[in-house]
Amino acid sequence: MKTSAIPLGPVPLTAEQAEGMLQHQVKKHYLTSILLHWFNAFVWLFELMTGAALITSPYFRIAPEWYLSIAQDVFGTRASMLRFHLAVGITWLLVFVVYGIFGFRAYLGREVLQSKLFLDADDRRWLVVRTLRILGRSCEPLPPQGIYNAGQKLFAQLVFAATPVILVTGLIMAFRLFGAWVIGWAVVAHFVAVAAVVSGLMIHVYMGAVFPEEKPAFFSMVTGTVNELFAYSHHFKWWRIVKQEEAEWEAAHDRLTPANRATP
Amino acid sequence: MARYGMVTDLRMCVACHACTVACNAEWDVPAGQARTEVRTTPVAGTFPSLTSSVFVAQCNQCDRPPCVDACPSGATHRTASGIVSVDKKLCIGCGFCVDACPYDARHLDRVTKKVDKCDFCLSRIERGQEPVCVATCTAHAKYFGDLEDRGGIVSRMVYEDGARRIETGAVAVGPNVYYAGRPAQLDLVGATYPPRQPRMPASAAVWRRAFKPLMLAAIGATFLGQALAFFTQLKTGEKDFED
Amino acid sequence: MSTDTISRRQFLGTVAAAGASAAVVASPAEAAPHPPGWSGDERVEQIATICEMCFWRCGVLASVAGGKVVRLEGNPDHPLTRGRLCARGNAGTGLLYDPDRLKYPMLRTGKRGEGQFKRISWDEALDFLAAKLKAIKDAHGPEAAAFFPHGIGSRFFGTLMSAYGTPNSAEPSFAQCRGPRDVGYALTFGQALGSPEPVDLESSKLIVLIGSHLGENVFTSQITAFASGLRGGAKVIAVDPRFSTAAAKADWWLPIRPGTDIALLLAWMHVLIGENLYDRDYVTQHASGFDQLAAHVKAFTPEWAEGITELPAEQIRETARAMGAAKPAVAIHPGRHVTWYGDDTQRARAMAILTALLGSWGRRGGLFLPTPVSRGSFDLPSFPDSTRGRADGAGTRFPLASEELGVTNGLVDATLTGDPYPIKAWIVYGQNVLESIPQRERTLKAIEALDLMVVVDVLPVEQINYADLVLPEATYLERYDPPVIVTTAKQPFVSIRQPVCEPLHESKPGWWIAKQLASRMGLEAWFPWKTPDEHLDTIVGPMEINGRTLRSRGAVAFQGRPYIEDRTEDDGFIQTSSGKIQLYSEELKDAGADPLPRYTEVDPPPAGYVRLIYGRAPMHSFARSQNNEALHALMSENEVWLHTATASEHHVADGDRIVLENTDGGRSRPVRVKVTEGIRRDCAYLVHGFGQGGRVLRRAFGRGASDTSLMSRVKVDPLTGGTGMRVNFVRPIPAAPAT
Repeated sequence: MKTSAIPLGPVPLTAEQAEGMLQHQVKKHYLTSILLHWFNAFVWLFELMTGAALITSPYFRIAPEWYLSIAQDVFGTRASMLRFHLAVGITWLLVFVVYGIFGFRAYLGREVLQSKLFLDADDRRWLVVRTLRILGRSCEPLPPQGIYNAGQKLFAQLVFAATPVILVTGLIMAFRLFGAWVIGWAVVAHFVAVAAVVSGLMIHVYMGAVFPEEKPAFFSMVTGTVNELFAYSHHFKWWRIVKQEEAEWEAAHDRLTPANRATP
Repeated sequence: MARYGMVTDLRMCVACHACTVACNAEWDVPAGQARTEVRTTPVAGTFPSLTSSVFVAQCNQCDRPPCVDACPSGATHRTASGIVSVDKKLCIGCGFCVDACPYDARHLDRVTKKVDKCDFCLSRIERGQEPVCVATCTAHAKYFGDLEDRGGIVSRMVYEDGARRIETGAVAVGPNVYYAGRPAQLDLVGATYPPRQPRMPASAAVWRRAFKPLMLAAIGATFLGQALAFFTQLKTGEKDFED
Repeated sequence: MSTDTISRRQFLGTVAAAGASAAVVASPAEAAPHPPGWSGDERVEQIATICEMCFWRCGVLASVAGGKVVRLEGNPDHPLTRGRLCARGNAGTGLLYDPDRLKYPMLRTGKRGEGQFKRISWDEALDFLAAKLKAIKDAHGPEAAAFFPHGIGSRFFGTLMSAYGTPNSAEPSFAQCRGPRDVGYALTFGQALGSPEPVDLESSKLIVLIGSHLGENVFTSQITAFASGLRGGAKVIAVDPRFSTAAAKADWWLPIRPGTDIALLLAWMHVLIGENLYDRDYVTQHASGFDQLAAHVKAFTPEWAEGITELPAEQIRETARAMGAAKPAVAIHPGRHVTWYGDDTQRARAMAILTALLGSWGRRGGLFLPTPVSRGSFDLPSFPDSTRGRADGAGTRFPLASEELGVTNGLVDATLTGDPYPIKAWIVYGQNVLESIPQRERTLKAIEALDLMVVVDVLPVEQINYADLVLPEATYLERYDPPVIVTTAKQPFVSIRQPVCEPLHESKPGWWIAKQLASRMGLEAWFPWKTPDEHLDTIVGPMEINGRTLRSRGAVAFQGRPYIEDRTEDDGFIQTSSGKIQLYSEELKDAGADPLPRYTEVDPPPAGYVRLIYGRAPMHSFARSQNNEALHALMSENEVWLHTATASEHHVADGDRIVLENTDGGRSRPVRVKVTEGIRRDCAYLVHGFGQGGRVLRRAFGRGASDTSLMSRVKVDPLTGGTGMRVNFVRPIPAAPAT
């Protein structure tokens, strides 16, 4: 559609418009992002499973006794369980290093530097309204969101903050760097960062995999696309940018080949 | 199952230091650090009525070891035979256990950066040999054996001859290293080298007292929150959402 | 045990990033427990030998892997030490691998004392020495060369020097240690005590330590025996101006005024005889001179002794009575280092007499008897006779001094004075002349007068700075020494020192050096054996033992005859010419000395000074071990013990660093103060062997204070030449700030 025709805020759609949008897929995630996401998911799975099993002391422990003995039986010795934990962790680090060096401009830069992860006024309002709606205290419509809604942004911020902490403290513990005082605090920071992400993961996994409304979001992490209706209703500000890009592309192509102009 | 213990006879011991040098040599402990420490109490009394005693300190392989509770990686663990052992492959060198030990029997090896301590020469006793300190003691003042074996020498010294362990009312973690001596001498060493309260460095304390409950609460809350949402979803039905 | 070095090595060697994570955290499969330093590949071999961290010669089992000694432990097959080994023995690899040890022959380039050397080859060194010794012989006669040995390894050199033609040989174990003791006991019982001394601690009912701080002075088997005795219920009397480890275990601690031991001994004799507590039958049957003794001690009451010793008369009586009740199983430890006040032979005599009165010579729990062992010898040409006789005074100036062991300070005197004839060369083997002989300044002055000073040693101690030629000897772990035959054990035995690894650097065993010199000096005839094995087999030949067993076990024991009941008429337990124990010594009378011991006054400390006394620590041996990494970590410096009152009188506090100054103005290096109630007010105590001046010894240099450096005065025992060293007085003065 023409740029001028793109609404500034969400407006009710006609049935045909809605149907049309439902059929139309919009690209949301690049392949690299998808791969990285699932790589992270598996790393987190393995590391949480082994990490929880490694902590046996009553002061620090979070897993119950039966879990600890099952985990030890799987690996044979606790030492090999630790070796596995470190091997996965260091592989995770290396992947990030490679991603960071080669993919910074294309992926990391674009994601972060273009403020896709910082909260704006809409995001903050969204957080309030969403919470109230869950508690059944409000029927107010949610403010328009960008490519990632405020909840997703918060989770991303948490992961971006926690991951380096987990990696660095993991290295400090694995190689006994900088002396006992630093190692002691590294232990605490490691556990705190992990626990924080786990709390967020509760919501993230539920929202991603269980909550029906967000089903398209889950599939977008496999196919890379969402249907346009979902984008319009849940990520309006991003839908708007996509539409603008489409319109600009069309306008550029119209100027080039007037004969191929498609009327909306 | 065996419960290993050691008895040092302070009447015979002359503080020759053979045990600490032999132990260091056997286990590659860096010079200046030691798994076992030979001490002499300060001379008490006024000339010429004086008393003093020798003393040999090492890990007591306690029944209720505070160090095991303090270890975040589970490297420190108690074996079935009562020996508290450190799995060096799991040790991250945080030193929580060093602060936790009421007898200050552990140290961070300055070369490996891991925790080191006496383990009654576990790998030697598994091969039927004696701990190195017992084997080399010039005064034959150290005895090692199974406290459950009532006929054995250590049991006899403990249960019949009055060998004592170093405990106080406040810190009673069940040490398995005993000392034989004249009663006044045992009183003196008990008073001079009492166990202290287990300590936690700030980091461990912060985790245990603040962060762990906080984090468990956070995870619990988010889990419950999602459970609640899930129930709501079940009630409403999936289709409605899609609409 | 840590296998981290291996995983770290693997980590550093890894290349592929993909494989990096797995390799980094991998470690080898759990290996069987192994000695430290062993990578797991080489086989561990165990070789038996004897230790030389001190001179007790305990059995050692060395674990060797790939030529590297990874562990030293006691040898369970050693008849005396039975697998036990003291702190120093366990730390022996610290000597073997000491980075500061002497590595190659060196020739002095600068002035004496500067410590400037150039490295030379063995050939050069041996040629130089042979030529120099020939020159001295030609110009001054062979007697002008004096030999200063110590340790069994010195015997090869001893043969060499005797073949060369000099009678001048002296080791510090006589005039600075046990000499007067052995002479005193020999005068009484007819034989010297030797080492280890035959004191039957383990079977004793009462152990008397007068002149022994056993416990801080550690000899593996003697500690075992002491502990055995205690376990058996033995009581202990400790006579010591200091509250030693032994005193802390004692039933009676007698903090005697230094120098008054003879008075105490005489008073004890008085009580034993006066109250009829001595072993009457034994004395009647075996001793002569009792009546003279009884008359002699009549006046020496405990009250008389109290005035001298500052020990309560009641305590003197009580302890004498305890001895009387426990006899004959009373072990009066004869002491080891007894050169204190110049009257030391007489004090040893008093202790021997006391032993005899209690009937404990040759009896269980007292002093047992040595059992001779026949040893083989070589058919050597006779040593050339010396026309001029000895220069050290043994047998002449010091009539009772051992001519076998010699008088070191006598040689120093002769070198300084040129009387009876000039001494031009010192060959020093394994002896630390600046640390063991008191009056250092005299020793240094004597060295200045020499044409030649040679030091054969393992560590670069201070004296090498004054030597013209320094030869690096292999440590005890790297060499063969003549076998040790111990007769003063309840089971006599022979033990061997054999190399457990190749000599490091360019060090050589003493036998090789001696043989090489012999061939250059035309003295091969006195070294007919070609290899150490040949030497060993000849010596042990008459013992009729299996050479293979000896080499694999390290020692072989024989049947002993330690008590009177084991002895026959021909094999008597009293070896005096009269066949009786000499309570009254005719021999001393003939020599113009007191036939019965008398107390002679000691000089009290001048006002403001205290008497310097000294001793040992269990983790160190003399001045030999202070550079050893493990032992240094246990005790890196000594402290000066001062009584609380003395300290406050001199305004020093516990932990202060002060300097000790003697009455001649000589000063020690700075040393830390230990304020304690456990010492008399009139004494200051230092552990010997610290404050060393050998700069190359990075750990030993300059730590603490040297007692030897403060010994400007000695009181020489006229009978033996023993240098009484407890006659120096010191006071603490503030240390100058370090420059």
